[in-house]
Amino acid sequence: MINTNNLTKKYGEQTALDHLNLDVKEGEIYCLLGANGAGKTTTINLLLGFVEPTSGSAFINQLNVSEDKRATKRFLAYIPENLMLYPSLTALENLDYFAGVAGKRLSQDNLKGFLAEAGLQTEAFNKRIATFSKGMRQKVGIAIALAKDAKVLLLDEPTSGLDPKASNEFGLLLQKLRGKGVATLMATHDIFRAKEVATHIGIMKDGQLKQQFVANDISLSKLEKAYLNTMEYNEVGS
Amino acid sequence: MILKTFLKETKELLREGRVRISIVIVLLLLGVAVWISTKQYQNVNEQYAVAKTAERAVWDNQGEKNPHSAAHYGTYAFKPKYPLSLVDQGVDKYAGTSIFLEAHKRNEAQFSAAADQTGLARFGDLTPDFILLFIIPLLIILLGYNSFTKEREMGTLTLLNSQGISHPKWIIGKWAALFLPIFVITALLFLIAGLLLGNLEDFGVFNWSSLAMMFLVYTVYYIVFINVVLLISSLTKKSGIALVISLSVWILACLAAPKAASNIAESKHPYPTRQEFAANVLKDKKQGLDGHNPWSKEAKLLEAQVLKEYGVDSLHQLPFNFSAYRTQKGEEHEAEVYFKHYKFLKDQYANQSKVYSGLAAISPYLPTRFLSMALAHTDYATHWDFADTAEAYRIATQEFLNNNTAQNTQYGQRGYKASADFWQQLPAFEYDPPELNTILTKNRSNMMALGIWLFASFGLLLFTTKTL
Repeated sequence: MINTNNLTKKYGEQTALDHLNLDVKEGEIYCLLGANGAGKTTTINLLLGFVEPTSGSAFINQLNVSEDKRATKRFLAYIPENLMLYPSLTALENLDYFAGVAGKRLSQDNLKGFLAEAGLQTEAFNKRIATFSKGMRQKVGIAIALAKDAKVLLLDEPTSGLDPKASNEFGLLLQKLRGKGVATLMATHDIFRAKEVATHIGIMKDGQLKQQFVANDISLSKLEKAYLNTMEYNEVGS
Repeated sequence: MILKTFLKETKELLREGRVRISIVIVLLLLGVAVWISTKQYQNVNEQYAVAKTAERAVWDNQGEKNPHSAAHYGTYAFKPKYPLSLVDQGVDKYAGTSIFLEAHKRNEAQFSAAADQTGLARFGDLTPDFILLFIIPLLIILLGYNSFTKEREMGTLTLLNSQGISHPKWIIGKWAALFLPIFVITALLFLIAGLLLGNLEDFGVFNWSSLAMMFLVYTVYYIVFINVVLLISSLTKKSGIALVISLSVWILACLAAPKAASNIAESKHPYPTRQEFAANVLKDKKQGLDGHNPWSKEAKLLEAQVLKEYGVDSLHQLPFNFSAYRTQKGEEHEAEVYFKHYKFLKDQYANQSKVYSGLAAISPYLPTRFLSMALAHTDYATHWDFADTAEAYRIATQEFLNNNTAQNTQYGQRGYKASADFWQQLPAFEYDPPELNTILTKNRSNMMALGIWLFASFGLLLFTTKTL
C-alpha cells in the first residue's frame, strides 16, 4: 500500500531524505522513529505530494504520487501533530465537510457512527471544535479517516502532547484500523507507543533509514537501546 | 464539494459576531439612506410639479404684451427628478435644477441643491449610492479578507490538501459564500427601491429594466471586489496583512483613483473659467449681428440683402416687420455663438470622460460610477442633454415670438401687443431623457472596462489559487 523507492529529497545542499526504501502492506503499522530533522515529516510530505522528490518515487496503492497526486489522495488520510479543524463548526459538521470534500456523501447517522467508532462521546458530536482538547480533535481526525474509508493512514507525531489515557485510546484506535486492513505510517518520537502499536519499526537519522525491526521480534529495552545507539548516545539521558 | 464548501463558509460567517454586526449595520444604513432619499425625491418632485405648473400659468396669463418684452421677461425650463436618482443622486445636487430662458442669452442651470446647503454638506449625504459604492465593498473586505489566510493560519489547508480537494470547486464554494450575502443585500435594496418607485405617484419615466440594469452593474462591481479580496487572501500568509492590503486597494480604488482621475482629466482638458467663457462669448457676439442695433455694419448688410431678395427699395415695402426679422437674425447669430462655445465645453467634457474611461483600468469604481449615474439620469451627459434641449426650446421660443411680431406689424410700427391667448400657443417645455439603449450605447467603454475587470479578476483568482 505504501512504497518508496530510493526516495530522496534535497533542499539545496542539504539532504532531508536519502534513498528511502519503505514497504508498508495492508494491515501493517509502520512507525518511523527519529529525532527532529531525521526526515520523518519529509517522508510523510512526499507521500502526501506536498513536496516533490529530488529523485526516487513514492507510491500509494501502486499509484505514483508525483504523477497523480489527486488520485493517490483518494486512498489516504492524514493526521498531523496538531490536527486543526474549523473551531466554529461542531464535530459533526467538521466530519461532514471533510468527508464531503473527499467525495463521500454520508447520512447524519453514518457520520455519527464514525464519530462514535473513533471514540468520541455522543454529547460532543454537536459541540464546537473550539471547545475540544487535542485528544478529542485527533478522534475527529480518525473519524474523518473512517468516513473516507482510507486504505492508507499517514500520521505525523499524532500522540505528541496527548495525556497517557488519550494516547492509549489513540493506540487502540490504530489497532482497530489495522484490523480493517489499513496500512499506517506513523512518524513519532514515542518509542513506548511505537512498540505498543506498530507491526514494524524503523529508525531514521540524517534522512536515512538506519535500522528496521519487526515489532514483535524486539523488546522495548532493546528497541530503546537500538534507538539511542543510532542517535549515537552512549547512555540514556546523556 | 462546491455546495459543502458554500454551506461550511456560510455557517462560519454567520457564527462570527463581527459579520452579523456588520451586516446589520449595513442593512440599517441602507434602510435609512433609502428612507431619506425617498422623502427627498418626493419633496423635489412635488416642488418640480408645482414650479412647472406655476411658471406655465404665469406665461400663459401674461395678457396682452409685446412678444419681445415677453422674450425678455422669460420663462423657466425645470429639470425633472428621475426615479432612479433615488438610488444614485449623481451630480444632480451640483448641476442645478432649472434654466432661465430669455432673449439673446443662454443661461446656466441654477438653484442647485448644494447651493442651498451649509458648509456641513461637505461631510456628504447618506445616500444609497454611497452605501452601494463605498460601504458594501468594505463589507466584502470584512467578510472575505481571511477566507484563505484563515485556512493557512488554522492549519486546515494542509488537511484539505491531504483530502485531495479540487481547488477550483473549493474556490467557487468560497466565492459563492461571499457572494450570496452581498447579492441578497443588494437585491433587497433594489427590490425595495423598485417597489417604492412603482408605488409613488407621478413617478415619471421609471422602468424596471433600467433598475435591473443598474442592479446588474452593481452586482458585477461586487463580483470584481469579491474576486480581488479573495485573490489577496489567497496570495497572503497572514489575515492581518490581507486585511491591510484589501483596505489599501479599497482606498486606492474608491477614494484615490476617482480624485486622481478628476485631477488628471481637469489638467489635461481644462474648462475655461467663468470669466473667460463670458468674455469669449461676448467677443464673438460683438463680431456678429446685434438684433437691437439697426446702425451696425452687420445690420446694414442684412438690410441690403433682404431688400435685394424681395426686390424692393424700402424696408416699409417688405411684407413683414424688418425690425423683428433683424431681432430674430440677431438671435440666430447669438445662438450660434453659444452653440460654438458650449460645444467647446462639451468637447472638453467628452475628452475628460475619455480620460476617466482610460483610468478605469486602475479602478472598477470609475466605470461603475459612470454607468450608475447614466442609468439614473443623474450624470453630466444627461445634464448636458437637458441643457441642450432647453436651449433648443429657448431658440424656438424666440423664433415663435419674433415671427409673431414680424408677421403682425409693419416696419417702424411701435407699441404692438400680442393677444392674451397667444402665449398658450407656445408648446410647453418637455424633456425626455435618453432611453436605456442610448445610455448603454454611449457607455460602451464603461461596460467594456467593467467586463474586463470581471473576467481578468476571475481569471487571476482561478489561476493563482490552483497551487494553494
